[in-house]
Amino acid sequence: MSKKALKQHAALPLAMAGLTIMLAACGNNAGNGNNAASGNNANKPAETTATNANANAAAGDNAATNAASGEQSKEPVKVVWWHSMSGELGKAVTQLVADFNASHPDVQVEEAYQGTYDDSLNKLKASMDSKSGPTLIQVYEIGSKFMIDSKAITPIQDFIDTDNYDISSLEENILGYYTFNGKLYSMPFNTSNPILYYNKDMFKAAGLDPEKPPTTYEEVKNAAKALTKDGKTGASFAIYGWFMEQLFANQGADYLNNGNGRSGTASESLVNSDTGVKTLTWWKDLVDSKVALNLGRKTDDTKKAFLAGQIGMTLDSTAGLRGYVDGAKDKFEVGTGFLPKPEGAQDGGVVVGGASNWIMNNKPVEEQKAAWEFIKYLAQPDVQAKWHINTGYFPITKKAYDEQIVKDNMAAYPQFKTAVDQLHATKLSTATQGAVMGVFPEARQVVESAIESAFSGTDPKKALDGAAKDITAKIDTYNKTTK
Amino acid sequence: MNTTEAGLAARQSTGSRTRQAKPFLSTAWKDNMTGYLFMAPSLVLFAVFLFYPLVKSLYLSLCLTDPRGRVAAFVGLDNFTSLFQAEAFWNSLLVTLKFTALTVPSGLFAALLLAALTHGKLRGMPLFRFVFSLPTALSVSTSSVIWMMLFHPTTGTLNYFLTRLGLNPVQWLTDPAWALISVSIMTVWMNIGFQFIVLLSGLQGIADDIFDSARIDGSGPFRTFFQIIMPLLSPTLFFLSVVSIMGAFQSFGQINILTKGGPAGSTEVFVYSIYKEAFVNYQFGTGSAYALVLFAIIMLLTFLQFRFAERKVHYH
Repeated sequence: MSKKALKQHAALPLAMAGLTIMLAACGNNAGNGNNAASGNNANKPAETTATNANANAAAGDNAATNAASGEQSKEPVKVVWWHSMSGELGKAVTQLVADFNASHPDVQVEEAYQGTYDDSLNKLKASMDSKSGPTLIQVYEIGSKFMIDSKAITPIQDFIDTDNYDISSLEENILGYYTFNGKLYSMPFNTSNPILYYNKDMFKAAGLDPEKPPTTYEEVKNAAKALTKDGKTGASFAIYGWFMEQLFANQGADYLNNGNGRSGTASESLVNSDTGVKTLTWWKDLVDSKVALNLGRKTDDTKKAFLAGQIGMTLDSTAGLRGYVDGAKDKFEVGTGFLPKPEGAQDGGVVVGGASNWIMNNKPVEEQKAAWEFIKYLAQPDVQAKWHINTGYFPITKKAYDEQIVKDNMAAYPQFKTAVDQLHATKLSTATQGAVMGVFPEARQVVESAIESAFSGTDPKKALDGAAKDITAKIDTYNKTTK
Repeated sequence: MNTTEAGLAARQSTGSRTRQAKPFLSTAWKDNMTGYLFMAPSLVLFAVFLFYPLVKSLYLSLCLTDPRGRVAAFVGLDNFTSLFQAEAFWNSLLVTLKFTALTVPSGLFAALLLAALTHGKLRGMPLFRFVFSLPTALSVSTSSVIWMMLFHPTTGTLNYFLTRLGLNPVQWLTDPAWALISVSIMTVWMNIGFQFIVLLSGLQGIADDIFDSARIDGSGPFRTFFQIIMPLLSPTLFFLSVVSIMGAFQSFGQINILTKGGPAGSTEVFVYSIYKEAFVNYQFGTGSAYALVLFAIIMLLTFLQFRFAERKVHYH
């Protein structure tokens, strides 16, 4: 190979280097590509819908000869629903949609799985200036501020008002999260909160009362101390920003200024307040004194260790409850308790997690109304009951608890009660309504990084000061660009 | 050389027949046209996938974008100045350099060792060659998931063996002192397949008679390796070092899956920072600024390598 030729060859890797750069720039296009692909998938159900429509039209003709209304000959309105439920949850969603379509001949919902909440939201951002987007979309709770600021949605409140729809049977604590400035912007669909999972058999062996889970920071520490022996460790909590947010709310403390961003646009992070420092100091102390293991950021890893009987306590979402109980079957009994708080902490509670459904405003009014029909269907007590027992998310309507299947499920899995009790024990305040900021996904990563640096020796106050500074700067940029 | 001679000859001939100058030029144009025609597909691809994004990136790096990724304000060089003042930027630069230092030399050394060991024509060698080149067949995400299981602090295989040996388990991915090393170990393993294949073919490209004459001249295996094989292999090694350094600077997949830049930023390499800025927070402006700085760094490094390291390369 001559020298010259090699130089020419080197141009290729150089070009490859350039590829990385363009990745940053053409992310939008990539998103569009995905949409195009999913659009193709969506075409299949569309064909079936069309055949259904023909069948309906034929039926309509018959009806016409019988001197019936022309209404029936109308084609059903097509509604596209993007969601992020995969696996067992995805199957439950498919069933819900099939049931709805069977009972509503005038509306046909097409569900389309769009990947994780993050992926789905990215695809939505890419689709916003075109017609390729959905009619309604499931968005995780921390995407709410972005959805409102995007000005691309119709608030659910509009439909509630025109319809005089009664929301009094819905859970106030859940509605509280999605209500901004007195308006309900989206309809909650799947909601969860974090609970303490513990190994009852390990509690017994350590001489602790297996029916009395620790409720305060101090009790958690003592229990963890007692549990740490024979190569087992008392506890392990995944480094998950969500837990920090929840522990704040559980002490009745705001995470952001301006009433958690609810009385006005937030401009400052309060993660380095006394509440934060106290919490992180407690958490770090557990790890430093070796009564808690640091297993990193993934709740999946702490779950594995918990199910393997290597740790006595962990925190996780109620959405994982079924998995915990089934996973520990034949090995040990899983206990569930409230999220801990410091001794003497003020009234507080948990913030609802999960996701809600949003209606996009770039679709015809008729289609948006059809989407609203579907949302109302999803909120029905019997539908919520089915959804609840199949997934572990709790029902958004109180009436669902009167359904027999829910009662049976509670009897079989008494652990389900903890999450519901915790939800009902929560007093609504700006703290428990949850923080509102547009840069939430990244703020979570910043907080996680701060927790990690505290675990590796940084003073908790110093670590959180840095995080608060970072988040405040990001909020500042966000606010600048959304005015 | 040939082309210039031909060109000179052509010019001399046109000099004698000046009237035919015009048709000559158009033939040259025609000749070039054919060339451009053949280049057209790749030029179009480059334009669409390289030059346009590069220009767009340059433009975006001077702007602030709103949460939907649309340009919200023109801010001039603000993105760059705030970048150079940010601690996170210098941290990710340092992490990337460390990561490169940890993965490139050790990876090349290991691949060279494996290639030298399996170069001989002993029985069973094809099996080893197959095994050593196997990592090439796995995608980054698959490899990362496999290693994630190996690295798991409580149920992982690595810690199982450590405790069996009576050693303390290591917090591979959650201890800032270990995380980058762990990711590097995985990366070296992942890259070794490609490097092994290239080095092995480089070795096999050396003619047998060179080895024979070396043996006749009484050269031992070490001397043969260092004074004959190494110089002959130097173009291959140079190529691999250039490509590997570029690769190290662009690593992303394994980091996204294994550590997400953590713990406490200890594995936050450059491309992960770009990803975070652009696709988590939708700040395409700062993301593009990051990307352009990375582009400049890689270009500078490659230039330096060609300027200085290539002098040591012996072309056969």
